[in-house]
Order: sequence, then C-alpha cells, then structure tokens
Amino acid sequence: MAKITVDGTVVEVPDGGMLLPALLDHGVQIPHYCFHPKLSIDGSCRMCLVKVEGMPKLTISCNTPVRDGMAVDTRGSEVAKARQGVLELLLVNHPLDCPICDQAGECYLQDYAFEYGTREARTLEPRRKLLKRIDIGPHVVLDQERCILCRRCVRFCREITETAELAVFNMGDRSVIDTLPGEPLTNDYSICTADICPVGALLSKDFHHKMRVWFLDETESVCSSCANGCNIKIGTARRRIQRLLPRRNDAVNETWMCDHGRLRYAFVNDARVRVPSMGRGSTAVATAWDDALDEAARRLGVLARADGGSALAAIVSPHLTNEELFVFRRVVAGGLRTAQRDAAIPLGRADDFLIKAEKAANGQGARDLGLVAGAGDLDLAGIRAAIEAGTIRGLLVTGTDVWELWGERSELFARLETLVVVATNEHPLLAFADVVLPGLTFAEKDGTFTNHAGRVQRVRRALDPAEQPSDGNIFLALGRRLGMEIPPGPFEPAAVFREIAQTVPRYRDIAWDAIGSGGVPTAEA
Amino acid sequence: MDTMGPWLIVRGLLVTARHFFRNLLGFLRRRPTIATILYPEEAQQWSPAMRGMPVLVQMENGKERCVACGLCEWACPVDCITIYPAETSDEVERYPEIFTIDMSRCMFCGFCEEACPEEAIVMSQRVAIATTEWRGSLWEKRDLLVPVRELGTRLDHIRRDYERPAVPAAAPVTERVEKQ
Repeated sequence: MAKITVDGTVVEVPDGGMLLPALLDHGVQIPHYCFHPKLSIDGSCRMCLVKVEGMPKLTISCNTPVRDGMAVDTRGSEVAKARQGVLELLLVNHPLDCPICDQAGECYLQDYAFEYGTREARTLEPRRKLLKRIDIGPHVVLDQERCILCRRCVRFCREITETAELAVFNMGDRSVIDTLPGEPLTNDYSICTADICPVGALLSKDFHHKMRVWFLDETESVCSSCANGCNIKIGTARRRIQRLLPRRNDAVNETWMCDHGRLRYAFVNDARVRVPSMGRGSTAVATAWDDALDEAARRLGVLARADGGSALAAIVSPHLTNEELFVFRRVVAGGLRTAQRDAAIPLGRADDFLIKAEKAANGQGARDLGLVAGAGDLDLAGIRAAIEAGTIRGLLVTGTDVWELWGERSELFARLETLVVVATNEHPLLAFADVVLPGLTFAEKDGTFTNHAGRVQRVRRALDPAEQPSDGNIFLALGRRLGMEIPPGPFEPAAVFREIAQTVPRYRDIAWDAIGSGGVPTAEA
Repeated sequence: MDTMGPWLIVRGLLVTARHFFRNLLGFLRRRPTIATILYPEEAQQWSPAMRGMPVLVQMENGKERCVACGLCEWACPVDCITIYPAETSDEVERYPEIFTIDMSRCMFCGFCEEACPEEAIVMSQRVAIATTEWRGSLWEKRDLLVPVRELGTRLDHIRRDYERPAVPAAAPVTERVEKQ
C-alpha cells in the first residue's frame, strides 16, 4: 500500500496501479471520459488532469502511476481552469442535440459541463457538420457530430471482442469514428459500445427514441437468457421493461453483456398469459384461479392415486428460481408421488467469452436441487418414449421449452390424458393443455439463480404483477390440493432459501442476506 | 357595530346602484364604461401573462415543434402529460407519436412551458374546456396543436419573461464533410 495525500488528506491506495482508479475507488470525484476500468489506458480526453506536487505541469491521473508519498491536488483553481478549458474545447463542435439525444440524463458531457464548465460559448464560428444517424450495424447507430473521440468504443472492439470494426478515420479536426465500408459492427457484444460511449454518439437501436432515462426505475437483477448469469440492471417504466443494462461484476461479466441477452426481454412485456384457462384448443375458457387449481389437482390426483405415480411425469423449467424449484421438487415427490422428472434445458450457440450453451438462467440450480434426471432415472427422451408407449398419461409442465426440444410434435401431447402447463407466454403447447396456469417471468419475482459456475445470484422484482400469484404460490396451492401437508402462508423466497441452505449440501451456510448484489459462489459439488 | 348594520346595507346597495346606472348609461351610449362583458357572446381580452390551458405550437409546415424530449413531462407537478416519442426521417430525428394532456388534472402552472427547450408548448388563452365526461378532458396531440401565428404574443411574452433571445437564430449551415 502507498500513502498519498489527496487535497490535504492522507489516503492509502494499492501500489502499482494508476492514480485515477485508485482515487475513484476512494470516492474522490474526478471527471473522465476515455478511462474505463476494463480497457487499456488511452489518455486522449485530457479531462482527468490533476496537479501532482513536484511535476512541472498538470498531469492526467489515468496514466500517472501511484507513488508512495505523492501529493495530489484535484480541486485547486489551476485544475478547475484546465478542466473548464478542456470542456470548452469539447463543446466547440458538440451539437445542441440534448432534447433529441437518448444519452441526455446519463451523459458525461452534460454532467461535467454542468459541474465544471462555463455556461457561455465564446466561439463565433459555426459548429462542424458531420454525418448523423449512420447505420453502422444491426444494433447500433452512430452520430459523428456528438462524438468526443475518447476512443472507448475503438478499444472495446480491439481488446474485448477482438473484432476491430470501429476506428478513427482522418486526422486532427477532421477525425471521426466510423466503420470500414462493407464491415459493419456485427459482433455479439456490439451494444456495449453504446454503454461505454460517454456521450450520445453510439446508441442502441433498441432503445433509440423510446424513453427518457430519467423516467426509468432501475432494479438490480440477473440476465435470464443463458447460464452465464450476467449481472444486469432492469430499466422499467410504464409497467414495461424498457431496456436491460449490464452491471459490473468482476467475477461474472466484468461490465459487459451480449446483445442477445440484452435484447431478449419482449417476452416479459408482450404476449403474456395472464388468466388461467381450462380445456384444450378451441374449447379453452378463462377461469378463476381457484377453479383452475382445483381442476389441475383433480386431474393429476386421479392419475397419482391410480398408478402410484408411474403414469405421471413432470417437466421442469430451468427458468424457475432455486426457491421455486425446491418447492416444485417437493410437490412432484409428495403430490404427484412420482420420481419421473427432468429439466427441459434449451441449448444453443456458445462462445469463449460470456455466451453459454445452456439458454436458461438456472439449469445449474435444477441440477443442484435434484430436478434433472440422473443415472437410472427416466430422462427427457425416456419420458417422451413412455408417452408414446402410453405408460405416462399425465404431464405437469413448467415452461414451454419442451415443445421445441421434442420437435414440436403435437400428436405427442394430444395423446396425454392430462396436461397441466405453467407458462408465462402464449405458446403452441398451450393448445394441448387441459389446464393452463400463468407463471411469472424473472423480472416479476424475487429469488436466486445459480449460474454455470455455481454462483448464487439474486433476481429482484422489477415489475409488479399485481394480483397474479408467483410460481411458488401455484406449486404450494397444487401441493395442498393434492393432499400434502404444507403449513399455511404464502411462498416466501427468503424462508425457502434458508431451507435449501440447511438441506442441500452445496448451498450449506449461504445466508439469503449475504447474497447481496454480486452473488456468492457455492461450494464445489 | 350593530347600529351601523342598516347603513352598511344601504352603502352596499349604493355601489350596486352606481354600477347599474353607469352600465345602463354606457350601454345606451354604446360606450361601455366598466368591465362587465356579455360572456359568452363576447370574449374577454387578457394580458399575455395570463395562463390558460397549455397547447402545442404547430409550425408553418403543419408539424409540431415538439421533439418529445420529455422535459415538460418531467417538470409537470401533477403528471398530466404523457409522451410517447418516435423517430422520423426529418432533420430533427424525433417527434411525439402520442402527446396527451389530462386537462382534468392540469393546474395551468406553466412549468411545462418554462421547461420546454424548443418553445413547443405554451400556455394559451383558452380556459373554457369543461366537458361532461372524463375522457373528454384527455387532449390528444391533434386537439392540442395551435398554429404558431396565433401564439405570437405569448411567445414574445415568455421570451421576455425567461430572458431568452428574441428568436433563436438558425445556425448557418456549412458544407457537410462527406464520408471519405
């Protein structure tokens, strides 16, 4: 550790690093554009100038190594004047686009201009005109006029994705960010360039002109699109998800997230199943919750009693939280009285960075909690064969992935005597269900997911589902109707997690409150 | 004080009588001397400082000046403004696809007008906006648009009031640097 003096107070910072990150970690506010903790040092914006005692001129703190005993001045008049000068030069050609710019409200240039800048412009020349609204890729739009040439996006494409689509073209006053002709920004992480852009030069097409950022409520959560479990912030407004943003977690996703995960939230907003229904296909009618649960329990109960559970199987959704899976396991064992269950985990493309093959957030949780068929159990293919053979006549399905995994074979589901589906969205599978029970998505419930590496992370409720019960409550209600002895009271994720921590070895001694915003690793299995 | 009672009544009636005869005289001479007007046949002339219901400025080309920046929506203390922005191919990229003001909530405070960076929403002189059902008090964009020439006095007034430059000068356009 090195002892340095910052504005008269002595602080201890780690050796070997640069001054700016050390000061930022200490809560000292220093304006900066080009510096990013996960990218190389560029030193191009000149905004983080500080005065270091013994140095002849002001120096950029992002590229000044920490030295024991150094004295730094971050607030003096000399520093303030230099910042003002840098800002004035950045604003010489910056368009007055704030009313139509999506970045307004979370724009570094706006914030710093208010905090450190002057309110008057002294230039008489017209602002430089450059290209606006350039379509540089499937997900990102570029506005060259707004760019301040910090080169964060260029470094991101070179160092993180190693695709190098973006570059600075021309020299001096004519420098612009652009792509090469015929080589658009198509990497899997392209919207991250819009995240790290300190101004509104690079913007996500998905969020373009959609919602002002100051209307968004942000909830810390975890991405539900693959097993990596990238930490995210869910931005909601008007009872809809408006965007997903990555959240820094050095143990999982650093500060990045893939475009696929970021853009996959429409299922929360649209085409939802909101009321339970009974009856297959065109005979389906919306019913009250109690009637639907009664009917589901009656149909499943008949089969459970008749054949001792061998005629029943459960398909487990890997989109459920650990707590819901835990309750579901009990209902399958105690209510359906069957050991025939397997998780329907959709698979897809993976890469060597963040994208994992398992396209569901909690496949690992399902494995840990014993909801995936092990050796000797009837697995997904076995259950399908048993349905074809007629030995399995009733199915309790959570999620709808099994429809695709079994090749969208409608005759298979038509064979079943009883099909109860807990689903969040409208889906072809629901046409074959005798009872449909609407479930909730990850954005509407509290709980935990376990990612591919066994890290337990919290999801938090970002949208209020109003009167709709959570999946956990549905399972409890089914269990009670199937004759299980479940103490009264609603589904409490925190209480269920305590039970998991007591009974499942891998989760031993993990406290619900200790999971926090960054998650905790579980013991090795 | 009680003995003053009858005299106070008479004094009040004298005021009424004075106004009655003045009004009658002015009416007969066709030169009204006091401010009683034949509402609703006659409209009252208000000062430009008077704040009626907020309206949207419609430019000469028929489009709204609003760019859906959302500042009025944010400034509104009663949350009566709802804007859904969308993209256009015009030079100004954005426009309000939906712009609704719930006039049953609006309290004519004028914060929206003050917040607006584009002089696109201004307080008009319209006040007679009562309806018999709540739906009728939801004013959509097409109801709110008022041609800019009808709002000149108010626009001049707010420029004076908020010490803004008289007319925002159109920036001279230099040659566009072509993509090389």
